[in-house]
Amino acid sequence: MSNAVLEAIRTRRMVRALTDAPVPREQVEQILEAARWAPSAGNRRLHRFVAILDPGTLRLLRMVSPGMFQRPRAVIAICIDGQRARSFGMSPTARGLYVDVGTAAQTMLLAAHSIGLGAGVVTSFSRAAVSVVLNLPAGFSPEMFICLGFPAARQPPAIRPRTPVTWQSLSHWERFP
Amino acid sequence: MESTMVLTEDEALELLAFLVTAARTQLDEAAEYGPLRLLTAAGRLADFMTGRASPATQQLLAGPLRALPDAALRSVDPAKYSAELDAACQAVGKHLVDHFGGGTR
Repeated sequence: MSNAVLEAIRTRRMVRALTDAPVPREQVEQILEAARWAPSAGNRRLHRFVAILDPGTLRLLRMVSPGMFQRPRAVIAICIDGQRARSFGMSPTARGLYVDVGTAAQTMLLAAHSIGLGAGVVTSFSRAAVSVVLNLPAGFSPEMFICLGFPAARQPPAIRPRTPVTWQSLSHWERFP
Repeated sequence: MESTMVLTEDEALELLAFLVTAARTQLDEAAEYGPLRLLTAAGRLADFMTGRASPATQQLLAGPLRALPDAALRSVDPAKYSAELDAACQAVGKHLVDHFGGGTR
């Protein structure tokens, strides 16, 4: 029996080669809507998303993002709202905040894949420079970019793991001896 | 160097921003990202040079340097990674000798 969710999980890839075609705003909105449903610890929603479509801003982001191999046509920056975290008595560097960055990111990656967009994550960027480029409010910390575009026909080779990965190689049952 | 090889201010700024921000990101990242970032910077410089450089230099840019995968990491296959970098360095060295004239200056 086919299962669309599992199939999407299995077939999603980090897409690093993108075409020049612009990403329609409506598709970015679909991805943001999906992220709204991502798990969030305590349903506190301590993250904010900044969607960037402007080519000039995208160019600047790429300049201060050494890990951005691709030339995205849209980027969603996942930010931690440090002031909002403090309002819940949390440190802006608490581990849980980063877990929620991950759940939002995976939700967006799958949403993008499901609507025919290529997506990849980038975390290698200067937070200080990105904060200036995006004019982020005080207390906002950019933590991850979801880079979006339409996949090019030819993709660079994937990064291969040192050893083959299976679910068994990543998992243990019950407790360790 | 011919004037046609000078980067535009926009291009130079792009490369400068990459190098400065890469220095910062490297503080938090795996050590093996160091060579990766340097190669990415070299690739971006090569992109700017393409179309302006001499035919021989363009051959270098399009050949041995392009052969290095964008996101290759040492840990995946250390021996292969070193060999590929050695091959690129050899090609660069040979081109330098051809371009500048080995032992004549």
